[in-house]
Amino acid sequence: MKDIDFKSEGTRNALLWIVLPFVIGLVIASSIPRPVIGVIRLDDAIHAFSARDMIAQIDYAIDHPEVRAVVLALDSPGGTVVDTEAVYMELARLREIKPVVTAVNGMSASGAYYLSANTDFIYAKPTSLVGNVGVIGYLPSTPFIFEDIISTGPYKLWGAPRDSDMREIEMIKQGFYQAVMLGRGKRLKIGPEILLRGQIWIGTEALRTGIVDALGTETDAANKAADLANIAHFETSELRELANIQDVSMPFFIQSPQGVTLPYPNEAGLYMLYIPQLPAQEQERP
Amino acid sequence: MKDQKIWIAVAALSLPVLARALWFYQGISIRPEIATPDYAALVVPQPPLQTPAPDEEVTQYGGTVVVDYAHINQFQPAEIQSLTEKLEERGGKVEFMSDATLLENGLKYASSYVLISPSTSFTSGEINLLRAFVERGGRLAVFTDATRGMVYSDFFTGTTTVTPDAYSVNPLLANFGMTVNNDYLYNLTDNEGNFRNVFFDDFGKAELTFGLKQVALYGTHSLTSDSGLVLLQGDGSTFSSVSDTHDPAEGGAAISEDGNVLAFGDFTFMSQPYEHVADNATLIANIADFLLAGKRVPSLANFPYVFDGSLIQALSASDVQMTAEMISALGRLQTSLRANNNSMEMIDEKPAQGQVLLLGTFDSVEEIDPIANRFDLTMDDFSEFVTLPGFGDIGRAGNGVLLFDTGKNGNTLVLLADTTEDLTSLIDILSNGSLDSCVLQGTVGVCSVGYGGSFSDGESFEEGGETFEEETSIPEEEPTPSG
Repeated sequence: MKDIDFKSEGTRNALLWIVLPFVIGLVIASSIPRPVIGVIRLDDAIHAFSARDMIAQIDYAIDHPEVRAVVLALDSPGGTVVDTEAVYMELARLREIKPVVTAVNGMSASGAYYLSANTDFIYAKPTSLVGNVGVIGYLPSTPFIFEDIISTGPYKLWGAPRDSDMREIEMIKQGFYQAVMLGRGKRLKIGPEILLRGQIWIGTEALRTGIVDALGTETDAANKAADLANIAHFETSELRELANIQDVSMPFFIQSPQGVTLPYPNEAGLYMLYIPQLPAQEQERP
Repeated sequence: MKDQKIWIAVAALSLPVLARALWFYQGISIRPEIATPDYAALVVPQPPLQTPAPDEEVTQYGGTVVVDYAHINQFQPAEIQSLTEKLEERGGKVEFMSDATLLENGLKYASSYVLISPSTSFTSGEINLLRAFVERGGRLAVFTDATRGMVYSDFFTGTTTVTPDAYSVNPLLANFGMTVNNDYLYNLTDNEGNFRNVFFDDFGKAELTFGLKQVALYGTHSLTSDSGLVLLQGDGSTFSSVSDTHDPAEGGAAISEDGNVLAFGDFTFMSQPYEHVADNATLIANIADFLLAGKRVPSLANFPYVFDGSLIQALSASDVQMTAEMISALGRLQTSLRANNNSMEMIDEKPAQGQVLLLGTFDSVEEIDPIANRFDLTMDDFSEFVTLPGFGDIGRAGNGVLLFDTGKNGNTLVLLADTTEDLTSLIDILSNGSLDSCVLQGTVGVCSVGYGGSFSDGESFEEGGETFEEETSIPEEEPTPSG
């Protein structure tokens, strides 16, 4: 009888001091979130809408602790200067607390590369297009006046003198160059005389120039982001879905009357944008 | 014993928590400091403007600069206003020639010919005219611009056709040992507000580069010159867009070996507001000097633009009879000259200076002895031939001779023929405004004025029952320079 009591006491103690705390521990442990590598995907030009969506995803990553790092998956020719800068500065805020790794899919050109430069590591595919550092601007017309339009100054209608615009574009380029130098630092193997030519390189060449760090996939980028965040057994999630962002498209490029999308933005402005050359031929006029 | 149980409970509780935490989180991520550009410190690059120099003493050259506007030229006259102002300050006159058929006539009176960004090439005939013009001492300035090629985009096929102006000027410039490359120069490290706006501070030794320390060109083709001189060279970081390398043999401007042909890869530097950047204004002034200071070799090929002044004094030798036909011919000549902004008046004594038209027969050659001697004009003893170097013996009957003499005191054109009637016919040829029917060699010309004198006797002759009268040509007005 004493043995039974002793066993009963032992079992009770074990349940009370071991099993119960362990079960409680399991419950508590289950509340520890599985780390998430958030993916911010940009398959578009950088414009007001796409930038707003990206910033919303960056905000989500900042606000949610389970998002331990972010992969910036890019297939973009860049976009407007101001929207690129907006995303760039928000990315800097995110990077202060969480690592961000770029995975270049089709293209990270111009403004998209501006964003890439503000990440911890850049992967590209062997034939991804990367680079095109520089700015494009459409100079305003030489001012003239209309009979039926009254403005209050010579540049009220035209924005700025052509010469001023040209020089401001040069200043913006200097900002772009600073961003690349700050982001890439000693990893960059080319000087400004090469970088600022605006050349676009395929991934393998981009690796040699040091404008990307390695050739790899989005998976590699996620693993690298996990390394930098010191996490394991993570899951990757599209931040667009987590942040519940609805798709809203914007007609950024010119559409021909035949419905063909041309690589030119549909309004004048300042762009960090790669515009692929249309087929051109030179001919001597008789 | 109880403490021991508590520790066991804590351990049991912590174990799954730690296990899960360590399963996912293997350390603390220490973030580096993230630096972004100091946007507020960025500054807009400003051009090195030069204050316009006070009115300098400029040489009054005079002369006419003909600007080509007949080859679908990609510029507006306002874009070269700074150059036209400098030309006018120097007494020069600027004419825009919009009809290529007027080229030959324009080159007869032009001091220089300016070609800016043409979209069509010159024909071989036009090239020959310009080459002869340059050989006579006329000056040719060719401006291209890397931003001015004709571009045609076909949105349906997505094809863009580009016609660079370099292609249009090279057949012409090849005659003077120069080539405009179909590229543009750029400098990414030291430029005038943009990579394609290139500074030049290394100058070829020529009057065109006098007083220059630095000039800026805005989207310039590069040029090479086999025999001439490259005038503007950029530093080692000035690259050609074609090779992305620096070639010291290439520059933004070049001049031919004889110094009469100038070529630029850009003309935007002459337009506002770039005309006052660096020493561009001095360069433009030097170009104006170049265009007006040419020393053209006087030639009958320039007829009717062989007189420097507007008043032409006509003097007839004593043996020239002022017949009704002669008076009529002189009247037509006066009318023809008036169309070229020249007036003619008859005088009876050779003036000490001025523009002179001397009319005489071969028998009156003694009256023009000094001039005849200069041209080595001699007569035979039988009054059948006159002898001129280069022409040999020329039959006096039916031929007229032109002698064009230039001097400090003015130019003299001498018209000689066998008879007053032949002289009348010779004057009529001049009245037509062209010497195309004459054989010209520099300052000497021989024109056929009839058939051995019989035609020009003023008598009718019969052939086959029909009577032919000498036809008097009606002068046609030659296209003339305006103003």
